[in-house]
Order: sequence, then C-alpha cells, then structure tokens
Amino acid sequence: MGEKERKESAEVEVPVGLLHPAMLEPYRARFFVNDELIVDCELTLDPYHKGIERIMEGMPVEKGLIITERICGICSHIHLWNGTRAVERGLRIKVPERADYIRVIMAELERLHSHLIYLAHAMEVLGHETMCMRAFTLREDVMDLLYIISGNRVHYAVPIIGGIRPRCDIDEFRMSELHNRLSKLDIKIGDYANRVINDSLIMSRVKGTGVLTKEEAIKYATPGPTGRASGINIDLRKKMKEYKTFDFNVIVLDDGDNKDRVVARALESIESVKIIKQALESLPSGPISDRSFQLKEMKFSTSYIEAPRGEIYDSLALDETGRIRNYQNRTPTLTAMASMEIACIGDQLTDGMLTMASCDPCLACTNRAIVVENGKERIFTEEEVKSLIRRGL
Amino acid sequence: MFKKISRKNAIHVMLFYTGGCNGCDIEVANAAWSPRYDLEQYKVILTWNPREADVLAVTGPVLRRTIEPLKKIYEAIPEPKIVAAVGSCGVRCGIFKDFGGELGDSDEVLCRVDEVIPVDAYIPGCPARPEDIIAGIAAGIPLLLER
Repeated sequence: MGEKERKESAEVEVPVGLLHPAMLEPYRARFFVNDELIVDCELTLDPYHKGIERIMEGMPVEKGLIITERICGICSHIHLWNGTRAVERGLRIKVPERADYIRVIMAELERLHSHLIYLAHAMEVLGHETMCMRAFTLREDVMDLLYIISGNRVHYAVPIIGGIRPRCDIDEFRMSELHNRLSKLDIKIGDYANRVINDSLIMSRVKGTGVLTKEEAIKYATPGPTGRASGINIDLRKKMKEYKTFDFNVIVLDDGDNKDRVVARALESIESVKIIKQALESLPSGPISDRSFQLKEMKFSTSYIEAPRGEIYDSLALDETGRIRNYQNRTPTLTAMASMEIACIGDQLTDGMLTMASCDPCLACTNRAIVVENGKERIFTEEEVKSLIRRGL
Repeated sequence: MFKKISRKNAIHVMLFYTGGCNGCDIEVANAAWSPRYDLEQYKVILTWNPREADVLAVTGPVLRRTIEPLKKIYEAIPEPKIVAAVGSCGVRCGIFKDFGGELGDSDEVLCRVDEVIPVDAYIPGCPARPEDIIAGIAAGIPLLLER
C-alpha cells in the first residue's frame, strides 16, 4: 500500500507538537490512526532553523569553531572535536597523545551524560518517575566530573587546533578526584543499568513495540546506538585512531524494538565508564598542545566521529588567510528520526510517542534549510536534491 | 490575602524553547526536576500548559519561526505573570547575533526576547547554571505576588 493510500485509509489524524509534555524537543509528529493503530506517521523536523553554516562562512577558523560547539547543548564537545579534527586532518597537524586521551575522556563522559538524559527521558515517557529521577541524580555526578575537568557544565571548549586548552589539563588534584568519584559512579551506573534491564515492569512496557528491522535500518541509514539496536554492527570508535589503545565492546542487539534501544544505551554507558577508567590509568605525560602550525590554504577536508547519537560529519575548507569556507555539518538525529517514522507503524497510538523518543531525538542540530517560495514553505524533492549534489552544491 | 497564600504555594513554570542550543533547556528542566536542585521543594512546578503557568522561562534567541508562537503563548498565560529570559541567548541573542562572518548575521535569528515581550528576570550564563535559574525565579516570585 502506498503512502498516500495509507493516509487516506486512516480515520483520525492525531497531531502531537510542537510543544507537548511527552517531548522536550520541538518537532511535530502527525499520527494517522485507524482504530487506535497507527497506519502512517509524518514528521516535521525543521521549525527552529538558525543558519549556523551560513554564519560561519568567512570567519577566522578558531573563532568559527566556537560556534560549532553551540550547535548542540548536549553533545557540544563532540561537535567542537569534530570541527577541530577536520582542520587537523586537512593541515596534517599532529596532536600530542596526552591531548587525544583527554579528548577521549571528555567525549566518553559526554556520552555517559547524554545516555543518562536519554534513559531519564525514556522513563519519564513511560511514566516511571523513580527511575527518571535516579537517572537525573546519576547525571549530576557525571556533570560534576565534566565540571572538574573543564570548568563549565555544558560547552566545555576543550579541544583547540593542535591539542587542548591548558585549563583542561588533568593535574594531580583532578586525577585523584576523578579516580575517587569514578569508582563510586561505576558501581552506581552498573546498578542502574542492571535495574533497568531486569525490571519486568519496564521491559513488559517496551518489549515488542516500535520494531525497526535490520533491512529497514540499513535502508534508512539509521546511525549510532539506534542502528546497533537493530543489528547493524558499525561503531566508528573502532576505526578511529584515538580509540585504538582502548579495549571496549560494541553493543549490538538483534530485536530492534524499543526494549533494545533502551538496553543498548544502558549497556553502552557501562562501556563508556570502562574506556574512561582505562584512559585515566594510562594517561601519558608530555605536552598537551602543539601550536607551531601555520594556517594556510586547505582543500575540502572531512571528518567523521561517533557522537552519543550516531555519527557526525563535518567538512570545511580554509582560504589562504585561514577563514572558513563551505562549512557543512550533518548530524545523526536526521536519519534516526526518519527511521522512527517507519518503526511506529502498526503500533498502538500510546506507544507512538515512546517510539519517537526512543531514538534519542535532539533537534537543536537537526533543523535544516527551508525553501520559501512566494511566501509558502516547501521541502526539496529527491530529484532536486540529487541535481544539487550533481552541480556540486 | 488568601489568593496570595494559595498562589505562593503553587507556582508553575512553563519552559519555552525559542531556538537556542538545548543546553539551557536541560538546565531549566534540571533545576526544576532533578533531585539535586529540585525547585519543587519551593513549590515551583514545571508545566507545559500555558493556561496554568505563572512564570514563562524563555531560552534562546527569537527566530523568525518562533516569534508568533512566543506572542501567542505569552497571551495565553493568565495574569499575573512574569517572564524570565534564560541564558546568554535569551538575554542578548548570544553568539547567534552580531557575530556573523562575511555574509553577516543569519536572517533567521530576529531579536532578543525583551524586544517581543516584557521580561522581568534576566538569567545570564552559557548555559545558565541551575543555581542561577533558581535564584532568578525565586527573585521573581515577590513580583508575581504583588501584581
């Protein structure tokens, strides 16, 4: 049955959003419902477009990279790291090993805090307030660790081209503090994950709803933990040179339902703690930054990184004065949300919102360009996008 | 008198995200909800319904697409009401205005919050810390009771 027929066969249309108690993020979901079963779903993702890529055109590179951090308030370190990494790859700047380790520690702490927000949000949508509050309590401990290293709760500004900022170096005091708190946090997170996975009340609610099969996940290019919960064995961390020295497992689950998406995050946070512990134990001594590079003209350079929600792509070029040209950024929520459109078909309406929340939507980075013609907004068709790509735009 | 006491015991904060980076939203939700900061112990409750709200917390600069919803939500809140602009973006548009490269500012980012609706409490910071948000909203409560 085609998309249009499915929509026409629906009895009722239930719009949810832009502001709704079940979603902290602004997007609009239209559920087409037939006898309480969802027959089709349509998402509007781009209400809050800010035009960051356009602001950054022609900015000095170090100034512009600060804006990349402000793309998202949850995964801010990853955005800055990826922008910096793209410049470093293009200009062939060698980063000291100690700086790489501290960047990895920050990234994993951030993954921990992002996953804990996800678990808290998922439990809130489920209506299980105790577990929601427990996740928030745990998250505050993680935020303390981030605060100890960087001095801010969000927007840490740790990476700089060629290394990390001097204020984010891990000295002896910070090291002992991190060790103490992390050993406590390790037990707490293990307990929490164990409780989430073994709780029959939670599992009976999320099991079997919002199934996204492996074929669908591949077709919609579902990234990150959402894709890994559907059986796609891809984790960019295994390919990155920064993570080569660490031993950790990639969590791949097969069912692809809401249960697996929750369990995948709970298990991944345990792996993150493992990486941070290894990094702190084997933190190499030496310089933290190498700022002896010369900014010069750089051809188009790209970088991919595994963010908490999936893979982030950044690309930019520099002109001869070191100004940013053609900055582009693609974030994981775009494809993750699109695949949730398929996953919620056939479920009860009450599970629809849970399925939407189960891909960990973060809309601050996802809002893309809108075409306005004669006062009416429209979205590019597939052919138009293809022709734009062919023309090299 | 009776009205004042009962109002003081149930102050509802509505969070409206006009288009920042999400950092301040989580800090507001965190300040109001999470067990460590817990605004609920002062009987301040987070809500998503403008018709029961007393305080409107606005995070982020006003975008071209959110200026109308912001006005509508402000009108839907019954009197008396106070507005708190949270974060550098809410107070002064943050880095999204007057910061552009060669093409200048983005056309999507329009103006500060206080150019659209009257603002009573400014809570700066990038992002605003939960302690500051609690202090800002607590400072606004006497204003609310006098009106």
